[in-house]
Amino acid sequence: MESRANGARTARQRAHTDSGAKERVPRVDPYGFERSEDFDYESYEELMSEYLVVLTRRSIKWSKLLQRSNKVQKNLKVKRYVRKGVPNEHRALIWMVASGAQEQMEKNQGYYHTLLAGEHDPKLVEVIHTDLHRTFPDNVQFRKSSDPCLQKALFDVLVAYGHHNKAVGYCQGMNFIAGYLIIITKDEEKSFWLLDALLGRILPDYYTPAMVGLKTDQEVLGELVRVKVPAVWQAMMEHGVMWTLVVSRWFICLFIDILPVETVLRIWDCLFYEGSKIIFRVALTLIKHNQALILQARSFPDICDRFKQITKGQLVEDCHTFMQKIFAEPGSLSKATVNKLRETCRARILAQEP
Amino acid sequence: MSRKKAAKGKSSASSPCASPRRKAGGKRGKGGSRSEPQANGLAHPCRPPGLSSSGEFYDLAFKVMLVGDSGVGKTCLLVRFKDGAFLAGSFISTVGIDFRNKVLNLDGVKIKLQIWDTAGQERFRSVTHAYYRDAQALLLLYDVTNKKSFDNIQAWLTEIHEYAQQDVVLMLLGNKAEVTHERVVKREEGEKLAKEFGVPFMETSAKSGLNVELAFTAIAKELKHRATKEADEPKFQLQEYVDREMRGTACCSCRQRCSLPFGIVTP
Repeated sequence: MESRANGARTARQRAHTDSGAKERVPRVDPYGFERSEDFDYESYEELMSEYLVVLTRRSIKWSKLLQRSNKVQKNLKVKRYVRKGVPNEHRALIWMVASGAQEQMEKNQGYYHTLLAGEHDPKLVEVIHTDLHRTFPDNVQFRKSSDPCLQKALFDVLVAYGHHNKAVGYCQGMNFIAGYLIIITKDEEKSFWLLDALLGRILPDYYTPAMVGLKTDQEVLGELVRVKVPAVWQAMMEHGVMWTLVVSRWFICLFIDILPVETVLRIWDCLFYEGSKIIFRVALTLIKHNQALILQARSFPDICDRFKQITKGQLVEDCHTFMQKIFAEPGSLSKATVNKLRETCRARILAQEP
Repeated sequence: MSRKKAAKGKSSASSPCASPRRKAGGKRGKGGSRSEPQANGLAHPCRPPGLSSSGEFYDLAFKVMLVGDSGVGKTCLLVRFKDGAFLAGSFISTVGIDFRNKVLNLDGVKIKLQIWDTAGQERFRSVTHAYYRDAQALLLLYDVTNKKSFDNIQAWLTEIHEYAQQDVVLMLLGNKAEVTHERVVKREEGEKLAKEFGVPFMETSAKSGLNVELAFTAIAKELKHRATKEADEPKFQLQEYVDREMRGTACCSCRQRCSLPFGIVTP
């Protein structure tokens, strides 16, 4: 135990460092999100001091890789690089190339603008409008006062997509995803094609009116938990908690607003490169790592509370370590396993639907 | 890397303290462990008090669900009730389903409301259906400045009848009542519809606070009454209660209530 005098000095020192960190760290993060009032500047600075070293190292490696050839070939080395994080300056490019969005954009030159110039379905426009001012109000780039205000780009991308993919139209959650894409690419057309890659190829049918893909993947997660973290699965059953109540937002928003921004971007690096399996890895890591905490729950509401708690704190803030964990903690997870589970769960869901 | 989202936890019910996980685990004791209501039924009046994971004690716990069209103000109403705040332009659209907890003290009994906030978009209904059967009370909202949201109330009621518990406590709320210029649904129209379906009704304003506390308190009272009443006790009259509260001079959860022309009506 510290002596009283020591304790006092430490507190004073800490208070000093606190105000220092607050002065040094900008109030708005690099993506335009305002830090909240109770933002922990001190531990952020501490984490960043380590992460900046990683970022610099990765940046140099990526620059060398991209210098050698302008084309990014998918191979084991690049996969390893992606898992270790794509530097923000190359993010748009890597997402575009890895997801096939680049290819689609080049093949369909002018298509995006044709969609925008065409007649707009008033119903679609109305639902999108309802969400425009409700997308990232805490991001300065989305404020009406900002020039340019990204709400305009968001509207365009969503309207164009709604007309491009009529089966989906607009589904809440897409506003957040498109918003992130616009923040990263700073380009409407690229955002549109990345959205197309995500919704059309990478993710199952999460956003269609029946949302079968979403329901399926929630069940798949349940099945994976049953095998990999059986005690948690048991607790969920005992208290009658449906997976949809605690994880639907994880899937629909691809962890936006659930996990810290930088962590989400690191996950998306892998999502664009490796596909939707990564979502299960993240979910399983959150659950498995916090197994003890979840198992302390004694009731239905208590379990729900804990599923909120597990998406916060050091584990997810330290994005680099977290990304290493998602490939280690849940153990093996083959594409074949996921596909098989998806097949069974989908059949089960379709059989239950009226 | 941003820690923004972690800090945001203050708005969610679960993390009032810096490290809720340790606190919740450590404090959990003999009384707290088997004290919760069944997932699908009313809390049993005789059980020992519970302890939520945020460390708050309570005697009874209920599940309440907010439903209604997209953009009618469900989240705003909930945040106003939970934190007493309304920050224009600070709300994000709810995706899927989310919840916040609030513990109320009613006549010395601590009631924990777990309030589920749902996405209004139609396609999410098939996701939220799953929860209907567990909800003990439903607040159905429309927006007095949006005719369509009012016209859809009937469809919502059909849905509720199909999926909710038979005896679910239900209340219809006409929200955004503080708006005067853009109002398109008169209070009388809300009253009429509510009467038709035999549902208690009032107008609310998440912005001014009008009737927000009252709406939640009223349903909590009804639920508490149901959970604790003796066999021969008379039924709690929800509408009469809110009526009385509205007229009463010893108010007020919100100051505007007495000076504004709209209130609650008996069906």
